[in-house]
Amino acid sequence: MTGNRQPFEHSAVDDAGRVTRRDFLRVLGAGAAVAGLGACVEPPRERILPYTARPPEITPGIATFYATTMILGGFGTGLVVKSREGRPTKVEGNPHHPASLGAAGVFEQASVLELYDPDRVRIPRPREGVGGWDAFARDFALLPASGGTEQGRGLHFLMEPTASPLTNSLIERMRTLHPAVGFTFYSPLAFTGAMEGARHAFGRPLQPVYDLSRAAIIVSLDADVLDADPFCLRYARQFADGRRLRSRRDAMNRLYVAESAFSTTGGMADHRLPLRAGDVADLAKALLAATATPEEIRPAMPLLSQPTPDGPMASWVRAAAADLRAARGQSVIIAGAQQPAVVHAIANALNAILGNIGTTVRFIEPLLPTESPEHALATLAAAIDAGAVDKLVILGGNPSGTAPADLRFGERIRSVRSSAYLGLHHNETALDCKWVLPALHYLESWGDARAYDGTASFVQPLIRPLYDGRSVDEVLAVCGGWPTTNAHALVRELWSTQPDFTVLWARSLERGVIENTASPPVSAALDWAGVLPVLAAEHQRAARDSIEVTFRLDPKVLDGRFANNPWLQELPHPITKLTWGNAAQLGPDTAKRLGIETGDEVSIAFGGGRISIPAIVVPGHAEMSITLPLGYGRSGEERTARDVGVNVYPLRTRNAPYILSDARVRGVKPGSREPLAITQGHFTMQGRMIAREATLAAYRADPRTIAPAHEPAPSLYKPAVKSGEQWAMTIDLSVCTGCSACVIACQAENNIPVVGREGVLKRREMHWLRVDRYYTGAAGTARVISQPMACQHCEKAPCEYVCPVNATVHSPDGLNEMVYNRCVGTRFCSNNCPYKVRRFNWFDYGSGIPEVLWMQRNPDVTVRERGVMEKCTYCVQRIRRAGIQAATERRALRDGEVVTACQQACPTRAITFGSLDDPESEVSRSRRQERSYEVLGELGTEPRTRYLARIFNPSPDLTV
Amino acid sequence: MTSSPAHRIDTPIVLDTDDDDAQLTDRLLAPLRSKSKVWYALLALSGAGMLLFVATSVYTFVGGIGLWGNNIPVAWAFAITDFVWWIGIGHAGTFISAFLLLLQQDWRASVNRIAEAMTLIAVFNAALFPVLHLGRPWFAYWLLPYPATMAVWPQFKSALPWDFAAILTYFTVSFLFWYTGLVPDFATVRDRAGSRGRRMIYGIFALGWRGSAEHWQHYRIVYGLLAGLATPLVISVHSVVSMDFAITQLPGWHSTIFPPYFVAGALFSGFAMVLTLLLPVRRVFHLEEIVTARHIDAIAKMLLAMSWMLIYSYVCELFIAWYTGDPYERYIFLQARPLGPWAWLYWAMISANVLAPQLLWWRSVRLSPLALFALSLVIQFGMWMERFIIIAGSLSRDFLPSSWADYRPTWVDLGLLFGSIGLFLFAFLLFLRFVPFIPIAEMKELRREIRGTA
Repeated sequence: MTGNRQPFEHSAVDDAGRVTRRDFLRVLGAGAAVAGLGACVEPPRERILPYTARPPEITPGIATFYATTMILGGFGTGLVVKSREGRPTKVEGNPHHPASLGAAGVFEQASVLELYDPDRVRIPRPREGVGGWDAFARDFALLPASGGTEQGRGLHFLMEPTASPLTNSLIERMRTLHPAVGFTFYSPLAFTGAMEGARHAFGRPLQPVYDLSRAAIIVSLDADVLDADPFCLRYARQFADGRRLRSRRDAMNRLYVAESAFSTTGGMADHRLPLRAGDVADLAKALLAATATPEEIRPAMPLLSQPTPDGPMASWVRAAAADLRAARGQSVIIAGAQQPAVVHAIANALNAILGNIGTTVRFIEPLLPTESPEHALATLAAAIDAGAVDKLVILGGNPSGTAPADLRFGERIRSVRSSAYLGLHHNETALDCKWVLPALHYLESWGDARAYDGTASFVQPLIRPLYDGRSVDEVLAVCGGWPTTNAHALVRELWSTQPDFTVLWARSLERGVIENTASPPVSAALDWAGVLPVLAAEHQRAARDSIEVTFRLDPKVLDGRFANNPWLQELPHPITKLTWGNAAQLGPDTAKRLGIETGDEVSIAFGGGRISIPAIVVPGHAEMSITLPLGYGRSGEERTARDVGVNVYPLRTRNAPYILSDARVRGVKPGSREPLAITQGHFTMQGRMIAREATLAAYRADPRTIAPAHEPAPSLYKPAVKSGEQWAMTIDLSVCTGCSACVIACQAENNIPVVGREGVLKRREMHWLRVDRYYTGAAGTARVISQPMACQHCEKAPCEYVCPVNATVHSPDGLNEMVYNRCVGTRFCSNNCPYKVRRFNWFDYGSGIPEVLWMQRNPDVTVRERGVMEKCTYCVQRIRRAGIQAATERRALRDGEVVTACQQACPTRAITFGSLDDPESEVSRSRRQERSYEVLGELGTEPRTRYLARIFNPSPDLTV
Repeated sequence: MTSSPAHRIDTPIVLDTDDDDAQLTDRLLAPLRSKSKVWYALLALSGAGMLLFVATSVYTFVGGIGLWGNNIPVAWAFAITDFVWWIGIGHAGTFISAFLLLLQQDWRASVNRIAEAMTLIAVFNAALFPVLHLGRPWFAYWLLPYPATMAVWPQFKSALPWDFAAILTYFTVSFLFWYTGLVPDFATVRDRAGSRGRRMIYGIFALGWRGSAEHWQHYRIVYGLLAGLATPLVISVHSVVSMDFAITQLPGWHSTIFPPYFVAGALFSGFAMVLTLLLPVRRVFHLEEIVTARHIDAIAKMLLAMSWMLIYSYVCELFIAWYTGDPYERYIFLQARPLGPWAWLYWAMISANVLAPQLLWWRSVRLSPLALFALSLVIQFGMWMERFIIIAGSLSRDFLPSSWADYRPTWVDLGLLFGSIGLFLFAFLLFLRFVPFIPIAEMKELRREIRGTA
């Protein structure tokens, strides 16, 4: 596209003067990139026609919203995606879907950029020879309609486990028609420990589904349930609803967390016990012994040792046990996904004993395969060695990059005669396979999915496929040689057997959820016979004086699949605030023991693998334990992901995919690596009352000690008379977990550029909204408090009176407005902003990026040029749109009608936004709460954003 | 200029020569005719510096402020430090030429033109930086109050338009004042000119001066008026520049002592620069009898006095920061600066501005050109560091610890700083070559006053 005379070959109007929807969408999607740029496109000399005949639901300039589903880790999360001029630009949650409840986390928000990733695979191509889907089908498809037990021998599919009804039905069909075809399911996101634990405790594998809204006491055994769980958006909301105090009289739940790494769930804990991941089993046993009565655990008594009488572990267990006993039926114990089956079994036993099953936890039939993914892959590896695999089709995932190192899976793929990879990127697996096939992004696909609780929903596309891709379902159909290979037809075909299909189809596409499809709970009765053997078995843990190594999915790139997404690379890690790379996380004492500090390196060796990775000291991290985030150091052809961070997969083996006890760890000082790109180097509040917190007891006793009463500073001027809407925001620190979904949402909504690693090292990140993370408490019992910080829209804004050219002014409705085209870039405003929330375009960040990425940009928000300041605008584009709508309808704006991007994304509903001129609006009411305060209020800036102090609920038995 | 002869018996000698008018004139015009190799060498060196400045400026215009080391929170660093440093340096010139004129201090006669030229070049140098450091410098004219079609005026509550007005005023008045004083001397050069071309050029600049009584009367009045206008500028301009910082909320900037503190600092670094320039010039052109020990001694004493004003300001700041109990103020003054990551810079500054000038209590130091020259360089470096610590240091440790960050200059920052020094020297060397830098008319007048009317 040159942007000059004829930007696109096809006109939206065909010769008969009719426009087809597909063409219109496709052409608009391409043309909008040019138009949105404001490039001076002259009209062509030939006669042109305006878009008068167009699909009725599309008006250029007005967004349309479509419900769809994103599948991650096999489970679906329902979303509502905003489409402008035929292309998706922003992802929001779907309030009707149980996995979203209206929220969208970092992966969901960032997924829209993945659609426009310039490094996507575009055409199906073999390493040698003719490309194209037909050529692929010739090589791989089974002969149609011929069954028989031998047909398809040698054909093997390796795919990610999925709960999608369509995919599973196609797999079933394949297995029925061609039993010789093999299927292996592998993904580092698939954890089978919970199902194993259920098998031990209840006799068969089951999937636990929690209801934290009914839990007064929550005990997490290394479970990052609020941020790293397929249902985490829902759990976060449920948890927050149990903590969101509206007055002193409200009740609050209590969260106990024992974990090795510092997670956001740990950050919300009332009592956090840093503990090595390998020692959690011992903790679980101690907890079981302390909580249940001897009568209840008689069969297991001999196997449960007593904890040491002193020490933080013992007191934690005592307090948790006391609370659990007092909250039978209103408590829940959650075991971490990467913990061994014994921990899950104990958690199940405890939940059963305490009567929690049926209230705070229920069990459903597993929706994913129950076989451990590492085991399944090992079986496939053996089959490949035995020559049983002739054609290997890999549908998604990245097994070459993420398989256990001792399987040397990349080599094995290369040894298969014929192999094909369906994926979004030319990653490690694509490089090993003979065929590379372009996958469809979910925003371009038809399909269906199941959420973690079984609720089904459809996947519908918002844009015609950008490239020549196919979805997983379509490739299965192609390989099966079946007549229908179009996903739309396939999914309709599958669901057409439902009663009243036409109505169901329309309604489900509209709402984004297929009603009454949640899995029914199954009964789960504790059977000690299954638990005792696993309790008795010796489990591996690191020796007292050796350092254990754990592998964790990174909260930004997960197992590496999002490493090419610059938004996610630049998103600061919720706890370490590290960007563009990973680091080994360890506790201060362990660092001292190894003789290193943050920025130095650790060298870790195990099996045949050795890695050298920079270290970062995390106060509160369990000692004698190191956390290695997966997903970095990629070696495919993705330009953003390549070589960012360190690949830790070489240490991850089949038998120890999560917790490694026998690695050799050595400190290396000074490190040879480049410095860590951290966005927040200072992590204490220096005694300043910035992010306030208090215990529930203190709050109830005297709320005024927590937050000073607000009094405006004396002024020479008469107070301004304000009428009309007065926008304000409140952020509740009690429920903010620090997950940073708001940061990505803001980036997507406001066209915020990415500055890259060098930019972050120079402290020039452009995020308008940042999440500050402070450590509080003593080193050994460090706690974390997260505070989202964006422009406070001060009524007495210090930035406004120092701008020499009137580029930042105050609107009548209370917004501090930034006028980009007047700014000359003196940066005086940034100097006078005490919150340092203003950002400057040091370079022309908006240009020089691949054109396809322009399609994601929000046309309602200016793309800023070099030399101008920018900052949070309270999503003024949304305010104005709503205002225009209301004015057109001759009515006032309703409370809740304007929702900022950050507010909409937040899983816990920590952000409230609205107008102060309505004294009963949510934001007005929240400001009247006793725990509301202004950050740096003593400066007299009169910010419109207020914070609600975090109240946490420690047990009276434990000193904090 | 008259003062009673009795007053002068005890004071050191201000003009130590037996020359008569003609000889004095010849002597003072001699530098304009010299073909000194040293001059050419220095011109080449400073020319290289000037080219460095041009290159880094153009690079910045084209590439963006991202080429510097600035970030958020340290949005102002080297460029603004350079700006304040250069403006400060300029103040001593006006002090000597205008202030001392009104106070009828004769010893200003021989040094005032060099000092004033120093001011002009320094102010010009300084004025480049606020334009350079803009994100969109092609819109710099928006800081001018002109009737725009957009009907938007500058925002006058901000200190930057005040800066703009102050610097423009300062440059204009200083230039007029300097030029007025030069007119009789340009006429002298014209009258003594060797070639026709020289006569014509200097004739144009002399504006037709004939030396008549009427001319002299106009001269006296205008010179006196401009001195009167320029004198308050000595106080006001750097006060306004200090308002760039004082009107903000930032701990370390938000301080009412800033105007007098900055003016004192300006005079301090300005006098140091006068010494840096005067001592070599005096030596190279053999003008020890014109710019005598009295001058040097006087300037050295001013330096010492200014250093004590500065010491008072430092102590005041520290005490008030502690006395207020404000945690942010205390942190900046009692923790971040003396003990933080740039503590070495802070203590170097203290050594340069507080300790080193105390050497001036000793007369032997005051009368030793070598010692004074070295000291003047140390002081100017110390003053640059002081500006940097105030500007970048305060920004890097402000209210919310989450936004604390440090700053590293890039080669472009350093190139602009050293390039501006090169530019300054280049212009100064041209001044020495083409303009009579010791005021001929004023020296002749002074000679008559001292020796009687011979």
